[in-house]
Parts: sequence; structure tokens; C-alpha cells
Amino acid sequence: MNRDRESGERGAKKAQAIEIKDLRFRYTDGVDALRGISFSVNEGDCVGLVGPNGAGKSTLLLHLNGILPERLDAASSVFVFGHPVSEQNLTEIRRRVGLLFQDANDQLFCPTVFEDVAFGPEQFGLDPAEVAGRVHTALAQVGLSGFEKRAPHHLSRGERRRVCLAGVLACDPRVLALDEPTSDLDPRGKRELKALLRQIPATKIVATHDLELVVELCPRTILLDRGELIADGSTAQLLNDESLMLAHGLERPHILQHRHPH
Amino acid sequence: MRHDFLDRYSRIDSPIHRLPAGTKLAIAVAIVLATALTPISVPVYFGVLGIFLVIVAVASRISPLFLAKRLILLEPFVLGVAGLALLQPNGGRVFAMIVIKSTLCLFTMILLSNTTPFAAVVSVLRRIHFPDLLTTTLALMVRYLSVLVDEAERMHRARASRTFVRNRRRLWKTLGTVIGQLFVRSTERAERIHAAMCSRGWK
Repeated sequence: MNRDRESGERGAKKAQAIEIKDLRFRYTDGVDALRGISFSVNEGDCVGLVGPNGAGKSTLLLHLNGILPERLDAASSVFVFGHPVSEQNLTEIRRRVGLLFQDANDQLFCPTVFEDVAFGPEQFGLDPAEVAGRVHTALAQVGLSGFEKRAPHHLSRGERRRVCLAGVLACDPRVLALDEPTSDLDPRGKRELKALLRQIPATKIVATHDLELVVELCPRTILLDRGELIADGSTAQLLNDESLMLAHGLERPHILQHRHPH
Repeated sequence: MRHDFLDRYSRIDSPIHRLPAGTKLAIAVAIVLATALTPISVPVYFGVLGIFLVIVAVASRISPLFLAKRLILLEPFVLGVAGLALLQPNGGRVFAMIVIKSTLCLFTMILLSNTTPFAAVVSVLRRIHFPDLLTTTLALMVRYLSVLVDEAERMHRARASRTFVRNRRRLWKTLGTVIGQLFVRSTERAERIHAAMCSRGWK
């Protein structure tokens, strides 16, 4: 893995972490969730994915590690480090792409924090000593060392969110797909999570309504609406375009409105 | 919200709490088996067991009132089953046997569940190679029971805040919808949990 990363840095051009070509998806109830999305993300980049409710942000993230579509076929529209998301390399894809779900309760399904963070590494067949090492590193990374024996339902929301992140980090992913990471956090929880995410070197794709998070974390933004890609460009430019923001159920973030050039 | 109705006292400190979970589980299972198999004609056994359990209860530093409440909560089930025995000839004896045996077994389990966190019990079951599917199901049940209760409570509050007239028939009707909703929400949550498990390598 590290070898890949080094060769990527040595090359003149950064490796493509995610490439999506004309991705379409329709839910079984007939809703067209994605109607031909194409974009690519370079390794190490941090991209914000914004759009109103029902734009297809979560659906898109679920495609990144093959949770959707339910039946994968050879003609995949999603490529992770050049490999198509298919049945054969699903394990490898899931090891490389870590998904942080919107509701922390969905993601913390084990009776203790330790078991939950250990879940990923165990699934990938690491030996117990290595699993324990990964768990301790991941918990230290999110600032929750010593929480190993706690039960998820006895944690605060911020702590739960961080345990979820630890569970993803323990798998050592190269791409992090985050679905509304700050949604139910208080301002302090948000601040801490932002600082934490900034330290993680992986490629990040952040789907969120929290535009201040996008401004602070992601240099690039992709705007989706009704399953279509509306705009893709620099965050400062895109989020400052008031008419564009309003037309797609968003608004210019205050943090940009009050930024003066002095 | 935090819930601890399942094992409220399991995290306090006492000599009983400090015993390894495996030992406690083994003793509890042994007591239940022995109690079920011992004929009522050996009253000494039941007396000794009763005294032993009371000693354990005192040593565990759990509030006696709490233990009594738990027992009273479960006793109707015992009486329901035992009550049927009264219908047969010589029923009084069978009735007494069922009540004494069940009460001792229930008290044992109440003590076990309040001196041992459930997660520890599940991990012991895993260690002794209990069927994987069963331990996983148990673990998930323990994990999501509180989430489910939370959800039910929220729905109940939302309903209560819009109930202006007390009407028994309407109450039952809304209760039905709440239960249906809860079922749908649980199914959807189960799907999301499955997706979360898959995305961390579950096969």
C-alpha cells in the first residue's frame, strides 16, 4: 500500500483514487437517484459533495465501495485506483474505501467499543495481536483511548461518531467517504471532528449540508441536484455563487460572507 | 438517552462483580440444571440453595428492593404456568414445586445479569464456541434493544403531544400504528446495519 502511495508521489501526476463514469442508479421504487454522474478524484484530495435533500449524495457514496447496486456486474461505472468495483475485487475495494454512515447507531453494532473497532480488521483476516494494535492506534487517533470496554449506547453522540470513525480508520482505508459527518454534533463536537479529519491523510469525499465544514475542509466542491451533477469546481468559487446556491436549495455560507480581504 | 434496564447493576463493584464472567455463567447454568433435576422430596437442597443465593445477593451490594422488584415483575409468568398445575389431581404439590424451582432459577438469572455485563456473557459464549449465528444475534439484540426503546419512546411522546381527547378506541388504533411503524423502522435499520457491516468487510 505504502509503495503505491510513494510511486504516486514520485510520478508527475497524482494517482486517480476514484473515477466515476456516467453512473446511473434507480431504486426499486422507481426513483431515479443518479442520472449519469461523472467525475474523478485524485489521491489525497478532499472533495465536498453538496446538494439539497434527495440529491443523491448518500446513494453516490454507497456506490463507492459496492454497497449499491445490489447486483454488481462487470460493466461498473465506478473505479477505485483504476479497478472497477466488481464482485471479484469487492474485498479489496472495501478495504480501500472506508464509509462513515449518517447514523452512528447503524454503524456501531457491537456490544463494546473494542469489538466494534476490531470488526473491520477481523473481517480482513488479521491476527488478533495485529487487530488489537490497530484498535488501540485508531482509538488513540480519535482521542478515545481507554474507551475499549465501554458500550456504544453509553456514549455521547460525539463519542459515538468518533468511535465510528475509529472503526473505519482501523481498516486503514485510502479513501474516506463520509456521509453527513457533523449532522448531529454540537459545535464543540463539530470543531473536534474537523480537526481530526484534517489530520487524516486519506482521500476524502464529504457529503454534507454543513457548508462551513466544506469551506474549511475541502478545496473542491461537487454540487448534485436530483441525481445530476450541476457543478464541479473550487469551493470558494462555487459556494460564493449566491444564485447557484439558492437555485439548488443551499445558501452562501456565512463564513464566506464575512470574509474580508484584509 | 441511556438505558440500563437490562443490566443496571452490572457495572458496580463488589466481590461478586469481580469474578470472571465465565465462572459466574457456569455456576448459574449448573444451579439452573441442578434445580430443574432435583426432586422436591429433597427440601435440604432448596433450602441450602436459597441461603446461598441470599448470601450472593448481599455480597453483590445490589439494592434488595431492586432485586425484589425484578422478581415480582417476573413472578406472574411463573404463577401463570404453575396455576395450570392446580387443575390436575395432587396439584398443590406440583404447584409448590414449580413455584419454588422457577423462583430460585429466576433469582439466579437476575443475579447473574446484574453482576455481569451482557457483553461479557456473549464473549464467554463466543469463547466456548457457541454457534456463531446465535451469539451474533444475541449481541445485536442487546445492542439495539435500547435504540428500539428510544425510538418507541420518541414516537410515544410525539403521539401524546398531539392527543387532545382521550378516547380508548383511538388509543388502541394509534398504538397499532406505532407498533407497525416500529417494525418498519427496525427493518430499515437492519438493512442499514447490514450495509455498514458489509462496508467493513462482512461477507
